[in-house]
Amino acid sequence: MDVKLVNPFIDAFTAVLPQMGFPTPERTGMGVKDKHIESLGVSVLVGFTKEIRGNVVYNMDEETAKFIASTMMMGMPIASFDEMAQSAISEMSNMLTANAATNLAALGREVDISTPSLTVGVGAQIRISAGQFLTVSMDLGGHVVEIDIAVE
Amino acid sequence: MVVDDSKISRMMISSMLAKTNFEVCAMAENAAHAIDLYAKTRPDVVTMDMNLPDADGIECSRRIHAMDSRCKIVMISAMKDAKLIMHGRLAGISSFLQKPVSTNELLDTLMILCQEHVGVNAVYRDSYVSTYAKVLQEGLQQIAGLESELQVQEENSGPLSVNGVAVIIGVVGEPRGRVAFYMDEETMRGFARAVLQQESVTDAEAQAAVEESGNIIAGHGISRINDVIKDREMRLTPPGIISGVDIKLSNPELIAFNIKAKTSIGDIFMNVGFARSV
Repeated sequence: MDVKLVNPFIDAFTAVLPQMGFPTPERTGMGVKDKHIESLGVSVLVGFTKEIRGNVVYNMDEETAKFIASTMMMGMPIASFDEMAQSAISEMSNMLTANAATNLAALGREVDISTPSLTVGVGAQIRISAGQFLTVSMDLGGHVVEIDIAVE
Repeated sequence: MVVDDSKISRMMISSMLAKTNFEVCAMAENAAHAIDLYAKTRPDVVTMDMNLPDADGIECSRRIHAMDSRCKIVMISAMKDAKLIMHGRLAGISSFLQKPVSTNELLDTLMILCQEHVGVNAVYRDSYVSTYAKVLQEGLQQIAGLESELQVQEENSGPLSVNGVAVIIGVVGEPRGRVAFYMDEETMRGFARAVLQQESVTDAEAQAAVEESGNIIAGHGISRINDVIKDREMRLTPPGIISGVDIKLSNPELIAFNIKAKTSIGDIFMNVGFARSV
């Protein structure tokens, strides 16, 4: 797949999160993987289709998910990763992917995005491509969010 | 309100609706009468024939739309082409059906147009989820030769528990959502053996069989819905496959319905979820 297609997702991540009160994210790694994604604990799958078809997964551990949810809820402490926190993570994934879709449209690749599907459970395996997919690690104030992107 | 110059057509439509919660409040055989009756009765939805003696259905719709921009009109015509749809849409027609119309098709369309009256959950259940349930049953029969008994659970807001495999397929268009086709590991193996007609299958084959079947069934569901509701243009995203033990699959933002198919090899599920906010 075209590596250039990963930039709209990275740009969305770095543009959207600071607006929500997060420290500026930094890209700490990028690579190509095949087979499947090992969930770190909380993974959100969002599909897209139209001019290009694929899936994106936002993969993080539960502590990171709680940190994100707490920051989104104005610093409200989060003891357990409950429905409210899950809702926050779903919403963040939706916003990030919608923003990435806008960036893709600017490259002449219009896409429509599905609703996010949130998976909770360490050890879940997620497959988004029969072949290879791209993986990017983003550091968010000491927390890591992995973004996995596969395009057909 | 039913607008049609043919008495037989008017009777056919009203007899279809007689068995439903829709009530025919007015019937008109020409455009002038339709406009007059619309003003008097303010119906929730209008079925409009194309051929009327004094003006065509598009012109009649345009005049009703001028009177009430929130009117809901379904055009039911013998011919249906891109030009008619384009002109009709400009005149304020929401949906287009071709004669002969089946009761289900008419009802599904009216339900969707009247969703603010009947409630969005009823629309999802009666129009979308029932279609998926039918397609699931047919699909299991065709793909794996499995007979099934269906059970539809409404608005299951809790997370789905996956112990095996789940195929997640996103739905774009309107309404947005996702379909999850899932089963436990043992059922997955039995299912794959039935699909592939082999005594034993590998893990990869079993997953692939579930993935492909989920994709086919979801695809059939969407095309059937698109056949009924022409202007929705719902489409599917590529499948994502989640596997593991004790995995919780949730989306608090969805209104979800769980369809359980009881089969001889175990329970097979299809969860259909729609975004609460469009």
